[in-house]
Amino acid sequence: MLDATILLQILWTSLATSSYYVLFAVAFALVLKVTRLFNFAQAAIMTIAFYTAFVAVQWLMWPVWAAFGGMMAVTLAASYLLERIGFEALRKRGVSVMFVFVFTLMVSEFVAYVAMLIFGTWPQTIFPTIFWPATLIGNIAISAWDLPAIATTLGSLAALFVFMRFSRVGQFMVGVADNPDLAELYGINKRQIFLVAMLIAGVFSALGMFLYGTRAQVLPQTGVSLMLFAIAATIMGGIGNIAGAAITAVILGIIQNASILVISSEWQGFLLYLFLFLAIVFFPNGLRLPRRHVRFGTATRELAPSPDTPAAESKA
Amino acid sequence: MEYLYGIIIIVGLYVILASSFNLIIGYGGLISIAHPVFFALGAYASAVLSRDFGIPVPLAMLAGMLVAFVSSIALALPSLRVSGDYLLIASIGFQLGVLEVIKNLRFTGGPGGFTNIPPFLIRDLGRESYVLLVMVVMIAVVLLVQWIARSDYGRAMSAMRDDELAFASVGRDAMWMKIAIFALGSGIAGVAGALYAHYFRFIAPEQFEILQSAAILTMVVVGGMRTTWGPVVGALLLEAVPQAITFLQLPPSVLGPIQGLLFTGLVLVFMFFRPQGLVPAVDVWRAPQARAGKAEEFRP
Amino acid sequence: MSVVLTVNGLQKSFGGIVVARDVNLTLHRGRIVGLIGPNGAGKTSLFNLITGVVKPDAGAVVLDGESLNTLKFHQRIRRGLSRTWQNIRLFPSLPVIDNLLVATHDYPGERLVNILFRRTRLRAHNKAARDKAMDVLGKMGLAGVADDRVVDLPYGQQKLIGVARALMGDAKCLLLDEPMAGVEGQSYAAMQRVVREVAEHGVAVCVVEHNVAFIRDLCDEGVFMFSGAIMARGSVAELIRDPQLTELYFGH
Repeated sequence: MLDATILLQILWTSLATSSYYVLFAVAFALVLKVTRLFNFAQAAIMTIAFYTAFVAVQWLMWPVWAAFGGMMAVTLAASYLLERIGFEALRKRGVSVMFVFVFTLMVSEFVAYVAMLIFGTWPQTIFPTIFWPATLIGNIAISAWDLPAIATTLGSLAALFVFMRFSRVGQFMVGVADNPDLAELYGINKRQIFLVAMLIAGVFSALGMFLYGTRAQVLPQTGVSLMLFAIAATIMGGIGNIAGAAITAVILGIIQNASILVISSEWQGFLLYLFLFLAIVFFPNGLRLPRRHVRFGTATRELAPSPDTPAAESKA
Repeated sequence: MEYLYGIIIIVGLYVILASSFNLIIGYGGLISIAHPVFFALGAYASAVLSRDFGIPVPLAMLAGMLVAFVSSIALALPSLRVSGDYLLIASIGFQLGVLEVIKNLRFTGGPGGFTNIPPFLIRDLGRESYVLLVMVVMIAVVLLVQWIARSDYGRAMSAMRDDELAFASVGRDAMWMKIAIFALGSGIAGVAGALYAHYFRFIAPEQFEILQSAAILTMVVVGGMRTTWGPVVGALLLEAVPQAITFLQLPPSVLGPIQGLLFTGLVLVFMFFRPQGLVPAVDVWRAPQARAGKAEEFRP
Repeated sequence: MSVVLTVNGLQKSFGGIVVARDVNLTLHRGRIVGLIGPNGAGKTSLFNLITGVVKPDAGAVVLDGESLNTLKFHQRIRRGLSRTWQNIRLFPSLPVIDNLLVATHDYPGERLVNILFRRTRLRAHNKAARDKAMDVLGKMGLAGVADDRVVDLPYGQQKLIGVARALMGDAKCLLLDEPMAGVEGQSYAAMQRVVREVAEHGVAVCVVEHNVAFIRDLCDEGVFMFSGAIMARGSVAELIRDPQLTELYFGH
């Protein structure tokens, strides 16, 4: 019997837990939009973020705010290195987009193995416990984790929106995303913009992992699994559409959580891969219309009619 | 002696896996990380059919190859309909997803693995015969890949890799060519899986994880893509290394990650500094007859 | 004069730019049509639309009575269309002769059944294909470079080979995209000769060109495009003389 209370509870919990999914999806979608890279190394950044926070809290016994700050600092540094040493070198070489994808996948696996060596293969969490007190509103249990999580996500999204709409750098970023060559002609420094996008993605990844790691258990390979969700959401939401990625992440999160009503828990992991597969097969252009990029004087670029226009011929 | 046989067979199987993966990624120009999962599908199909359904081993092995072959088409067809790039993403989902399924199903033995797989040949003809079998299959696969690469088909694949739009402009359909190559390479991986299952007689999901994707990719990249001997060199080199490490008597919890680090680290280093690999490939395809008279050295 | 290719009401916009404005075009057997116009007029886009590289917003393409609208690029080529590219697009990993051999529409050498069981027939076919390719190269004076790497050849010769490749499929209709750009001397004369001969064999040819002399010497009629629309049709001599068209061409 589907109780209204159970449904509402599931809806609320899914909404709250989709907070980190949204952050991961937006990070991935942003980098894809601006740099035209499928940055699978985001999983590495996420893993680094989590274990830094873990070490700070549980080994170094730092207070929460210090651990948070330390995590941010390390994550930003890692993002910086990844962009400047990794991606820039590959860009200079003119390697294909898929070469970069394989490279980033290997980077993430490498980091996962390092984590396995240092931290072992048993699950960890940032705080010793993932138990959060809950209050009952109506008949719905609202965990003390839920509201801060949702607030963090909404706040980050709002900040990103304001940044991209109203700040100079943010607008440059939109310009580079739409037409990097034209942007360069206007004097915008592509290098800096790519770095900014990677740093923002790093911040979002770290935030997301902090939320995830304070509520669920993390294994060295968790970053890779979470990335698949982000990729599925980005594809279904429409490549180039950050808002679409965010909304799709929420919807997928709700579906995954609600699936507990119909399938047993050990199959929920499998659902994730099913999402990804469906995304590719049925929605390669996204569930909503992808935003059209107006390209002046580049009609010849349309020669290759593949839907994944970002990957078509860029040397990123 | 038995220990040595085991190593030889493992190396032989990796040569088969690396060569068939080279067919897919080197000659077909397709990037996928799902090779281990077809290795697994071949192993599991053959094991389950022979142990639980009484099917004679040779037929079960064939069935294993067929399962791998058909499922690879199921993966490649929808993905390549969109584009080659999506195949990579789909392959990640497929690799991880199918393993999840295997872990959760009862008839595959779940995470604990599948035991008591019926042996083949070793009881009647001794372990040497199985080693011989693997060696024969290995040589056949290596020669097959070489033959395909040098054939008219290989010529067409070369053109397809060069410029897919121009390939279409001469009336050629790249999609079905890619699917065919992918299916063939994956089918061969299935054969390797069946061979593995009936010698070691125990298979578990963790033997087919992403570590294997990294290993096989490394062997091809390090050895040299689009060469006949590159994957062989790569497989030999990268099996010698983990075998050497096992002599260091490290605890298993450390051994696994270190092997993983070595593989992924090697791939990264080679992708960065010598993407062409140890055995250099020629830049121009030449028909077998024309090659004999050419001044430039042709290394297949 | 039978009609080979009909283009009806072709329409296409990218973003805010209209690259094809209700374009109508007919190509006849054995006739060479010159498509001229300033840069950005939509000439190459028209080729892309006809061949199916780009999907039109509206309009129809009919080849020899058969509609091509639902067919993909490579399928249209198999039906009898053929084209060259402005940037040539030869296969750098194949020698010259193999660039041509890979472009025939019939490759029994790639079927296992033929390799195993029909070796004599296969050998005969391969020989015929090779002879045909060498014949085409010979007509261009390029028989000597058949085994060379494409990248080692001068630009003009590469362009000729691009045309040779487009001829390997026995096309009914040939679309040449700026075949003379960057070509001079012997290659120039060879190109003229080849195109004329192709038309004499009954192929309908359409050439996009900026080289006025080439168009004037070669084309039976001209079509002037500007800003996605066909502005004028007639003999090449008339079009060249028209002052308004000249202004469009150069004033742009």
